[in-house]
This record gives sequence, C-alpha cells and structure tokens, in this order.
Amino acid sequence: MIEVKNLVRTFNSGDRTIKPVNDVSFVLEQGTLASIVGKSGSGKSTLLSLLGALDKPTSGDVFVNGVSLAGMPDGKLTEYRRRDIGFVFQQFNLIPNLSAMDNVMLPMEFAGVHRTERRQRATDLLEQVQLDPEKQVRRINRLSGGEQQRVAIARALANEPKLILADEPTGNLDEQTGDHIIELLSSLSRDHNTTILVVTHDKALANKTDRRFRLQQGRLTEEPARALV
Amino acid sequence: MSVLARSVGSAFRNKVRTAAVVAVLAVAIGLALAMLVANQAVGAKVQELNASVGTVLTVNPAGGQGFEGGGEPLTSEQAATAAAVPNVSSVVGTSSLRLRNAAEAAAQAASGTQAGPGGGQGGPAGQNATTLTTSLTAAIDAGTLGGRNQAANGTTGTTTAQPVHSLPITATGIGGEVDSTGKALTITAGTGLGDYTAESANALLGTTLAEKNNLTIGSTFTINDQTFTVAGLFDSGTTFGNNALYLTLPTAQTVAELPGELSSMIVTVDSMENLEAAKAALESALGTDKADVTQGQNLESAVSSLGSVKNISFIAFVAALGTAGLIILLIMVMLVRERRREIGVLKAIGAPNRTIGLQFVLEALVLVAMGSAVGAAVASFASGGIASALISTNTTTTAATTTGRGAAMAGAAGGAGMPGGGAGFPGGAGLPSGNPLGGASQLLTSVTASASPGVIAAGIAAVFGVAIIGALVPALLTARIRPIEVLRGE
Ligand SMILES: Nc1ncnc2c1ncn2[C@@H]1O[C@H](COP(=O)(O)OP(=O)(O)OP(=O)(O)O)[C@@H](O)[C@H]1O
Ligand SMILES: [Mg+2]
Repeated sequence: MIEVKNLVRTFNSGDRTIKPVNDVSFVLEQGTLASIVGKSGSGKSTLLSLLGALDKPTSGDVFVNGVSLAGMPDGKLTEYRRRDIGFVFQQFNLIPNLSAMDNVMLPMEFAGVHRTERRQRATDLLEQVQLDPEKQVRRINRLSGGEQQRVAIARALANEPKLILADEPTGNLDEQTGDHIIELLSSLSRDHNTTILVVTHDKALANKTDRRFRLQQGRLTEEPARALV
Repeated sequence: MSVLARSVGSAFRNKVRTAAVVAVLAVAIGLALAMLVANQAVGAKVQELNASVGTVLTVNPAGGQGFEGGGEPLTSEQAATAAAVPNVSSVVGTSSLRLRNAAEAAAQAASGTQAGPGGGQGGPAGQNATTLTTSLTAAIDAGTLGGRNQAANGTTGTTTAQPVHSLPITATGIGGEVDSTGKALTITAGTGLGDYTAESANALLGTTLAEKNNLTIGSTFTINDQTFTVAGLFDSGTTFGNNALYLTLPTAQTVAELPGELSSMIVTVDSMENLEAAKAALESALGTDKADVTQGQNLESAVSSLGSVKNISFIAFVAALGTAGLIILLIMVMLVRERRREIGVLKAIGAPNRTIGLQFVLEALVLVAMGSAVGAAVASFASGGIASALISTNTTTTAATTTGRGAAMAGAAGGAGMPGGGAGFPGGAGLPSGNPLGGASQLLTSVTASASPGVIAAGIAAVFGVAIIGALVPALLTARIRPIEVLRGE
C-alpha cells in the first residue's frame, strides 16, 4: 500500500517558482493498476520521481506500508529503490556499454542474487517483453528505441518489486507490442499483487487501468470509472 | 557480470582516450620505477662500499704516492704508535716492491736504455718501492699507453727501437691476510701464508700472474735469486690487481734490504662512528709532516656523490609517483563528471554508494595496471641508462677533486649501457692502483643488475597505493551524486 500526503515539489527557475507537484494526496491499495494522464510539463515525471525516492519533496510525505520516506536515511532509501521499486524511466536510462542481458541483471547483482539465477531470470524477463534472443547479448546502444524500452521494463521487473512506477512504458512501441506490455503489467497486478502506477498518453492503456488520475498544473484529480473515451 | 568486469569494460569504453591515459601513466610510472631502481641500486652500493672500506684508514709516508715515492718511509715504530691510538683495532704494515723480469732487465741494460741500477723505471725518486729482479713474467703487456709512460721515464733522445716492455709486477709484503687496500684477500687455491709477521719462503700469487708463468701450488720462482714457493692463489677481481704477489712483511723487508721500513700502514678502526676521531688522533700521533692518513680506498668522495645520486633519485621517484597519482586523480574526476547521469541511473536502480565507488577505484586500477605494465617495460630498459646518466653527471661535477676516479666512473658509466663495453679503462696502466677502477666497474655491474623483480614489484605496489588514494577522492565524489540526475538531460 502506498499513501501520498500533501506532496509538494517546487523548482526555482530564475525569479519564478514552479510547482509541478502541488499538494497531491492519494492512496493506492496493494495490487492496484493505476494510470496518470496529463499534458506535457504537467508534473507527471516529477511526481513519479518523488514516489520512487529519486527526489525529495519540498513538503509532504509518502508512506510505503506505513513507513515514511521522508524519515528514511539515504542508505534505507537506496535499499527501498533496490528492493521495493521497479522504475521504468521515460528516457530508459540503460547503461549504454552493457548488453541488454547485463542491464537486466544489474539490479539483481546489487540485491545479491546468485549469478546463475540472475542469468536465468534475465533471460525469462527479456522473453516476456518479447526481445529477440539474439538481441539479448547486444549492447544497448545498438538496440532500437522500442527494444530499449522493453529492456527498461524487464530491468524494472528484475527484483520482483512491490511497486512499479512506469513513465510512458509504451511510448515507443507499436500497438501490438504495446498491448502485450499492458497485458504483462495487468497480469502482474492481478497475479502477483504488484501495485503499478503508469504515466501515459495512451487512452487505450489508461482505460484498462483500475484507477485513473489526471495531473493538471501540479494538481491531481481522479477520473470517475469509464469517463475517458 | 561482476563489478570488476564492468570496471574493465568501462576502462575500455573510449579506446583512444584509454590509450592516451595509459601512455601518460606509463611515462610517469616508468620514471618512478626507474628512479626507484636507481635509488635501490645506488643505496645498496653505498652500503657495500661503506661496509668494505668504512673502517679502514691508510697511512702513507707524507709526500709519497704509490710507486712515485717521496717523503721518508714509515717505520715499525710508527706502526706501534698507530696501534696505540684509541679505537684502532689493528695495524697492518705493507712493504711494496717492484719486480722486473730478470731477462728483460738484462736486455734493456745491454741496449743502454736502462737507467742506472737502483733507480726504478717508474719511480725516479722512489724510496718506498724498490725494484728487484724476478724469474716471473708480468701478466699484463704494457700496451701503447704503458709503453709510452715507461719510455718517457727511462729514455732520452735515443733512436734505438724500443724493446717490448711488460709492466712491473707488484710484490707486497703484508703483515696480515689483506690486500694493499685493507680488504681481506680472496684465496682461490692453496692456503694463506700463516704468520704474516714472520719470514717465510712462501708467496701468494694473483691468478693471472700464476697462469702466465705456468705456476701452480708448490711451484717455485725467484726474487733477486732467492727462491719462493707458491702457497696460494688469490683473485682481486681486477686484471691489474691479479698481476701481483704477496709475501709476509718481514720477508719483503729482508728481500728489499730495508728492515723495519714500511711503504704504508693499513689501520682498521673499531667502528664507523670512531673513524673521524681515529683519523685525527693518528694524524697528531704520527705527525702530518711524516704521514698522510686517508680513508680506506679513498672512495669517500665517490660514496658521497653516490649518496647525493641516491637522494636525487629518491626525490625523483616520489615526484614521479605523485605525478602518477595526480594523473589518476584528474582523469577519474573527469570520468565521474562525464558519467554523472550513469551514476545517477545506478543509484536509481538501487546500487549502494560503495559498489559505485569500488567500480571507479577498480577502473582506475585497471588503467594503472596497464600503465604499470608499459611503464615497467620502459623502466627495465631505461633504468640502467638513467642510473648511469645520474652517476656520470654527478661524478663529473666532483671530478675536480677526484679526477682519476671520476673519469674512470664516467667511463664505466658510459660503457654500462652496452654489456662488455669496458673501453673506459685503457689497460689500467695509468693509475697506481687497480682498486678504484675495480670499485667503479663493480658499482656499475651492481647498478644494472639491481633492476630486480623485487624492486619493480615494490615500486608497482607503491604506484597502486598512490593510485588508490588518487582514485578514492573521485570515488567518494560519486556518493554525492543524487539519483535524480537520471531525469536531467545530458
Ligand atoms: N530540475 C528542475 N528544475 C526546474 N524545473 C524543472 C525541473 N524538473 C522539472 N522541471 C519543470 O517541472 C515541470 C514538470 O516537469 P515533468 O518532467 O514532471 O513533466 P511531465 O509531466 O513529465 O512532462 P512530459 O509529459 O513531457 O514528460 C516542467 O515545467 C519542467 O520544466
Ligand atoms: Mg515526463
């Protein structure tokens, strides 16, 4: 379960102060598949980074199973990112000189998973995101945008996190592959009780989620069921 | 994929830059290693020289210099006086004789080119070196230089062809089993002379002299018609030193008909610390107008210039080491800045700070390892040359005071680059004693031979130590990078 209370993140650019996240509060039960839509620059990525403990809020707090992120020392936050969070970055952020396989194995290495198990699980995950086997050992900078996006998703799933934060996970994918990824994510929330929060512009994807949020100028509102057409 | 494998991979990400960094590191590391090798070699040599000559003082008649003679000879009474000086542990007297081959001397006398009897060819005013005849033939031909020297002494205005000269043989009567510089004799065959303070018909021959004359243990030869038996052979390490023989002190004095007279005294002091004091005490006891007291083989100036070479090379080693460390520091700071975003990614997916820091330290060590490999290769080729260059430039500056030895060393140093290049010594005939030459050539052999794997390993260990320190700073900087960097653009 994740509980967000009066979250605020402000940036100072010049003499102006912008508030991409302005007093955001919501609660997600464990196993919920939720989506956030909103215009470009509305603060979606900023909100996700606060939930993923990549950034610290100006005020407010996030509680993960009742534990406050604001009160955690850096070491604990690192552990939280490693164990509990799977983050799919909007810009993928894979390590360019490593292979797809090595990128997926990296979070497992940090978590101390045994080498043979790492390899096995990475192979399974890359298969699940439908990356061709011969591309699994290819270096990241020789993969296409869509291929990289799928490697990024596989990496986010590596340590079987309780919460997956995905920033436009289907943005670079064709409709068919995108549908497959959506199916993969909803099966995770259904069968593995994983909480999933997806930022998307894709209405089809948003419509398949249990709960839909809209972010407008830093303010979060929840859409009633089936309101998006 | 382990941290180490990732570090190696990262180090090779930009191959051109890696090659450039390795090249720069190799120069610094190579220089550091070469300096360390030079330092160690020279240090070992200084210690060896100090140990061998450190506590020995040589007393010569005032104004006298080897076979050139001059001054009043030393006496047995003076030896007793010297022995009574505090801290003196032993006094060994020597009596030097020059031996000429009897047949050759007769031929020269017949051709009229020989100076009058009693006037030694090499020492017109020689008082402490008496020329006697012998059945032995010298093991060294005078050669061009020696021939010229002897001709200049022995002839004036003669037009007759010069007969072939050989060098005189040095016979030394000694009061103990040491050579004429106080070093223990290395006896390679047979035995010593037993009691060196009693007359004896036995002699010790230099290996080459014995070989030249086909003599072995038990063979006999004559000096002034007196028969001697070869009791043992010795090896002094130099050609000149091996063209010599040793008798007991009283025997030499009797043969030369100079009882109680000494050519020199070898005074051993009980410890290095007392050397200066003992030297001063000897000078006042014997009188500076009667006796010159010099330190051992007279290598102290060489030792002190070697000492400064040691210091220079150590400073250069530390400086080169520091440079290597600084290069690593700057390179790693640059790499950390360049990979800010990637470090942010690693943190965002949960990499602990120490894992990231370790990765950067390892990457630095990969660069240093490659730099060390190239640097060690460079050093093993360059260290001999660098050591020689240091020694020759350094001894040239002190050449004004130690002309003969400085030049000999410079010559030897020049020859050290090419094995067997002994061209620095023109037969050794120009100098009164072979020992400074021997010392210099030994010095150079040991300097080049000391580029040992042990020293190189120690140097590389130091390089790695410095590299770790250099890499630690940027590695710690990575801890300050926040995971949010991933959301920032390049
Ligand atoms: N570090 C920062 N400093 C200053 N302003 C920032 C910073 N990060 C984000 N912003 C601003 O905050 C606002 C929200 O950015 P954010 O990346 O969250 O938008 P987004 O909703 O993800 O947009 P998009 O759909 O285009 O990805 C933008 O106006 C952006 O310029
Ligand atoms: Mg965004």
